[in-house]
Amino acid sequence: MASRRDVLKLIAAGAVALTVWPRIAASATAAPPLLLVVMLRGGLDGLHALPPLGDAAWGGLRGALPFAPGDPKAKPLPIDRDFALHPSLAYASQLYRQKALLPVVAVAPPYQGRSHFEAQDCVENGSAHPNGAPDGWMNRCVASLHGEQGLAIVTAMPLIMRGAANVSTWSPPLPDGIDAQLLQRLDTLYAEDPRLAEAYARAVAESHEEGAGEAGDAGRGNLPDAGNRRAGAAGGLAAMMAAAGRFMARKDGAQIAFVEDSGWDTHAGEVAALQRKLGQLDAGLQGVHDALGAAWDRAAIAVVTEFGRTAKVNGTGGTDHGTGGIAFLAGGAIAGGRIAGRWPGLSAQDLNEGRDLHATTDLRALFKGLLKDHLGVAGAALDAAVFPGSAAVRPMAGLVRT
Amino acid sequence: MSSNRLADAASAANRFGLGAKPGTLAGLHDARGALAKEARDGAVNAGAFAGLADGAAYLAEENRYVLDRRMRRREAAAANASGKDATGENAIQAAIGGFRRQFGPKLLAEAGARWQVALAAPLGFAERIVRFWSNHFAVSVDKRQALLYAAPMEREAIRPHAFGRFEDLLVAVESHPAMLRYLDNQGSIGPSSRIGMTRAGQGLIGTNASEAGSAAVSPDTAPRRRRGLNENLAREILELHTLGVDGGYMQADVTELAQAITGWSVRGPRDDRIAGAFGSGMHADPKTGFVFREYAHEPAARSILRRRYAEEGIEQGRRVLADLAVHPATAKHLSFKLARHFVADDPPPALVRRMAVAFLDSGGDLRELYLALLRSDEAWSGDARKFRTPDDFLLAALRALGTEQVPDVRMAGALLARLGQPVFMPRSPAGFPDTAASWIGPDALLKRIQVAGELSSRASRVLAPGRIAGDALGPHLDAATSQAIARAESPRQGLGLLLASPRFQWRI
Repeated sequence: MASRRDVLKLIAAGAVALTVWPRIAASATAAPPLLLVVMLRGGLDGLHALPPLGDAAWGGLRGALPFAPGDPKAKPLPIDRDFALHPSLAYASQLYRQKALLPVVAVAPPYQGRSHFEAQDCVENGSAHPNGAPDGWMNRCVASLHGEQGLAIVTAMPLIMRGAANVSTWSPPLPDGIDAQLLQRLDTLYAEDPRLAEAYARAVAESHEEGAGEAGDAGRGNLPDAGNRRAGAAGGLAAMMAAAGRFMARKDGAQIAFVEDSGWDTHAGEVAALQRKLGQLDAGLQGVHDALGAAWDRAAIAVVTEFGRTAKVNGTGGTDHGTGGIAFLAGGAIAGGRIAGRWPGLSAQDLNEGRDLHATTDLRALFKGLLKDHLGVAGAALDAAVFPGSAAVRPMAGLVRT
Repeated sequence: MSSNRLADAASAANRFGLGAKPGTLAGLHDARGALAKEARDGAVNAGAFAGLADGAAYLAEENRYVLDRRMRRREAAAANASGKDATGENAIQAAIGGFRRQFGPKLLAEAGARWQVALAAPLGFAERIVRFWSNHFAVSVDKRQALLYAAPMEREAIRPHAFGRFEDLLVAVESHPAMLRYLDNQGSIGPSSRIGMTRAGQGLIGTNASEAGSAAVSPDTAPRRRRGLNENLAREILELHTLGVDGGYMQADVTELAQAITGWSVRGPRDDRIAGAFGSGMHADPKTGFVFREYAHEPAARSILRRRYAEEGIEQGRRVLADLAVHPATAKHLSFKLARHFVADDPPPALVRRMAVAFLDSGGDLRELYLALLRSDEAWSGDARKFRTPDDFLLAALRALGTEQVPDVRMAGALLARLGQPVFMPRSPAGFPDTAASWIGPDALLKRIQVAGELSSRASRVLAPGRIAGDALGPHLDAATSQAIARAESPRQGLGLLLASPRFQWRI
């Protein structure tokens, strides 16, 4: 077992960073660009969230599926000649009109199987394979932005944020405070545990963090309408997105943050499930907008999922695992008000294996476009370190305002 | 006792079991023998679950609840239409009691019994095995249709079969209402089955109780939903429950398996009516609530992993599961997960291979799999260690304190949720993660320390934290931790230090 001295040596060598919030190396000049990734686990049905009404085959495949349970008259909100937004995405459609929402169609990680877990691993590890990298691309992105930090709004560290760089997790705190004396007495014990020393030191720094009270409120308060049922529970997607916005808006806050949500795997009863879930996402977009305040203008929010779903409705009022999915980019920094990505079509001969939408954009191209043009990550680092072996995947151009 | 014996005893209680209690280590003279005995005897817990309803009883009650609510809603709609009365959803809920009010106490009783058994077990190896399989066959109760059935599934499908043949465990789990509802198989219908071919039959079997109602209450006015095949359960059987994601199956195997298990369903609120139309061919398990609907089963031979399965009704699916249960890929997948759970996040490949061979040689006997693990030197190596998940942590802390019964089930559940491991709610069919990286984070650690403080402040009496520490950690109580506890300002703080200490976070 490593001794305390070994751990200190590691720290000195820069392998382990011990600070949480105080940004040591970052310049105090211009306020940095912000990136929030929101991962919808389970596979969001893009054909239901952004129905392609202009595709002649859509009506035959999906026309019978209503947008609200028991209400065949509920209509999606048209935003474009060919596409409309699900009626639960009212705030998003407002953002679209303000050119701050950019839907990207037929996008997916470079993975053709239909396993949730493998596809999610691809999205998170940033490689072309489920086991292509042991840590996450957001962590490597933090590493490439020397002195920056990442924050995951979750109780357990997700793969996408795992790695050597300075990242931490946050979730709404327990109601009671922590015993400072207990922490102090544990100090030397944790320093001796090579696996836990770093996490502990950061935990302590966090507990001392000035304004912890404010952070504590982030999970609950200040949603546009806290009583709104759309906003859901304190631990729900909308509250987590608002909390991320709050952390990022702070002076020394995280530049890169991650929020996740589950329950998007709609094999059955899709109409009711997505009406509720998309409402939460919509409330989350509004929550993060309001929490960011002036920082909204330098923020890019990427809402992604691991794959799309079958074009046809299955036998149980839902859809099964597919391929080409959808992503939504939002934020003041996004060049929105249009649809991005190439639409592969839904006609029988256009479908992938006769069952789902082809993916025409590699999700890594989208991420790389944001990292390059928004965060200013250098091309060489993008191709080799952040998204290993991805030189052939060109960054999507024009995602952010210039 | 020699130092080797002490180390074995500590590993048996902490890494293989659910945590040492006061006196456990001192009294454990043959640790390996004690574990082997548990591996053979299984989970013994006479009486702890007495009084809890079986799956079929829960189903009957939920079905009654659904029918009742539907009737009231219809009455309210009729009253509204005739302008007589305006009865809202709230009034309906109030009239029939509300789901939470009706079922909440039962869920708490289930959780309480489960904790009681885990706290009572002397070592808890067999109980850990039960929990391992519950997580392997994860059912997440944030899906409302599965809410009432996760605990009964553990009692009725996992406990009786976790120390027998894997085939029996697999069939019991895949035919339990919890799994059939969680992974949407209950409404999966073969397109060429009798009900699939009948226009009137379309829409008769719901994906969940409440939805089933809306489709069929007024078949003339309600939009008739086309029902058919759902491949969700079939995919997870192959990917998560048996072969593993690299197990060599294709999309076509998923679809074929989905068809083989069409008709594997759950007794629903309108089954009397359906039985009228399709009377014959309903095979039911009176205990769990499972039903096989022959009229919904796709009547054709299937080909899965290049093997042909003749049409034999319910037997067809069972035969596929029987073959999957003893497939070499399954042996490897299960051995890896089990070794990962008990030995290390990256278990030695030689150990995994040896376990897989023992499993296959015995024709899929789980006891032989456990014994192969226990007989291996790697399992007893000084390097073997696992980070305690929140559930492990809470149980080990309560056991270290000698707690026999969870004092406040609601609070214990809330604590686990805040630590990131809500009971029966992994939010994914893959279950909770089983590696340290997933649980070690600054915020998670802070919350755990907070909970340690909370538990020590609630401990009924604290006399000698030093002795409690020695009893809990045995030879793994190091000088620094021991000294910190001795120097604590109060026995209570000493106890808090023990539970919050890094040593206590590991199963060594």
